[in-house]
Amino acid sequence: MNYLCKKEEIIKKGAEANLYLGTWFGNKVIFKCRIPKKYRIKELDQNLRTFRTINEARALIKAKEHGISVPQIYEIDTLNSTIIMGYIRGQKLKEIIKNLNQNEKERIFETVGQYIAKLHQNGQIHGDITTSNIILTSNNQVFLIDFGLHEYSDSIEDKSVDLHLFKRVLMSSHGENYEFCFKCFLNGYRNEYLNDSEELCQLIINNIKNIETRGRYIKKENRV
Amino acid sequence: MSKIALGIESTAHTFGVGIIDFKGQTHSIVNDIYTPETGGLHPAMVKEQHLTNFQDVIAKALDKANLSIKDIDLIAFSQSPGLGPVLKLGALVSRLLSQTLNIPIVGVNHCVAHIEIGRLTCNIEDPLTLYVSGGNTIVSAFESSRYQIFGETLDLAIGNMIDSFAREIGLSHPGGPKIEKLAQKSNNYLELPYVVKGMDLSFSGLFTAAKKLIESEDYEKKYNLNDIANSLQETAFAMLTEVTERALAHTEKKGVLLTGGVAANKRLQEMIRYISKEHKARFEAVPLRYAGDNGAMIAWTGVLKYKSQGSDLIEETIIMPKERMDQIPITWRK
Repeated sequence: MNYLCKKEEIIKKGAEANLYLGTWFGNKVIFKCRIPKKYRIKELDQNLRTFRTINEARALIKAKEHGISVPQIYEIDTLNSTIIMGYIRGQKLKEIIKNLNQNEKERIFETVGQYIAKLHQNGQIHGDITTSNIILTSNNQVFLIDFGLHEYSDSIEDKSVDLHLFKRVLMSSHGENYEFCFKCFLNGYRNEYLNDSEELCQLIINNIKNIETRGRYIKKENRV
Repeated sequence: MSKIALGIESTAHTFGVGIIDFKGQTHSIVNDIYTPETGGLHPAMVKEQHLTNFQDVIAKALDKANLSIKDIDLIAFSQSPGLGPVLKLGALVSRLLSQTLNIPIVGVNHCVAHIEIGRLTCNIEDPLTLYVSGGNTIVSAFESSRYQIFGETLDLAIGNMIDSFAREIGLSHPGGPKIEKLAQKSNNYLELPYVVKGMDLSFSGLFTAAKKLIESEDYEKKYNLNDIANSLQETAFAMLTEVTERALAHTEKKGVLLTGGVAANKRLQEMIRYISKEHKARFEAVPLRYAGDNGAMIAWTGVLKYKSQGSDLIEETIIMPKERMDQIPITWRK
């Protein structure tokens, strides 16, 4: 890395990757570095880090092509499993959800629903939709981040799982808001699908119920 | 002298009786473990053995503790989750004891018991728990008066997966320790499916892939059994460790507790200890005597429940083979 590209301060030490602020040819950027994990053997560690780095970068580029607001990719360094991407100034939805009024919530969750529907229509599964991975900028733009668990799939099942995981996050972290938020999210999701494949969309949404009842130790009467 | 509780563990292959006093001092642990000659655990066969042996096990436990059945003040039993017929037997024996001796009875959840005995024996107040056994694979921590499940297996339990693989290669039950020995003889890693979905895990693909390696033409040519055992363990344990680390970063707990039968595996201990250190959390592996299924953990959890909620009514002692741990209010913790 040369002087035009500089890692400055660490802003988050995550379980999987460290995030650093920095500059890249005059742009304010994030360095997402997947750090070696010494508990697992080298081959496995290298494979996972390289695969996830490339996978995430590709997914972000594709998502952007489909018109979804995600960070801009500047550079990928597979040897050091690092992605350099645009910095998004804003706040995590998780942190500000309490201060939002119903109208704002409706707008944001509908937008997220639209984003996810766009991804799904293009065979992309986000894999980790949580309120920590949604950023709201000061000019009210909604950004989707962290594609570390992204997968490609066209199956109804995988898409339903994506929605189901988000539902679970809303239930466990934002109990009192959960029903309204998830309803708005599904509205946005449906609207995006409406034009060409309403039926498919309904199949995906209905399948969420199946997944819930398939969990371990669910009572018989609640099973389908 | 402190009051005495007798706990009956009967969820799967172990019929265990543990005697513990209300201060947490263990007086005895006696287990009778069903070992199939071939294949896995057949619920009816397990029940048959437990039915034959339960009186002996109780008598032995009392004998070891130097107590008479009349000294017992509380009966606790494993009420959920587990194999139906086996749970039923444990509940039946417990009701019988409670009614003839005229002492209170409490039913406890087996998974909660694993955590509670770990907290007691390792003296760790509020840990993140990785509970790995033949029947369960759960990452859990205490939050809003429940043991919340942060991650779990979506199909096979880790112990079940390793035992099943051992069975495929002709090793008798329990296969875990044997696989661990084989794995120690190899440093070769063969790529196997690594499946982590958010915080949840899936082991079924890993099992199938390992099985295919044995059936392949390259077996005993390019790699041997030790290499497969090593790769199986490395992959499965790396998955467990990754999920545990994520939960640890999320919950910011100051301790990590490793429990269940698979907790005896040295390689898994090493990996979990490593991430605990990284996150400045204290690491504890529950001693094997308490980590595998046993009656003492049931007795101790019974004591906690009894102290905070009192006795169960007899109609409340119905077994619940499918109860989830996160459905149970933990009234004795704040």
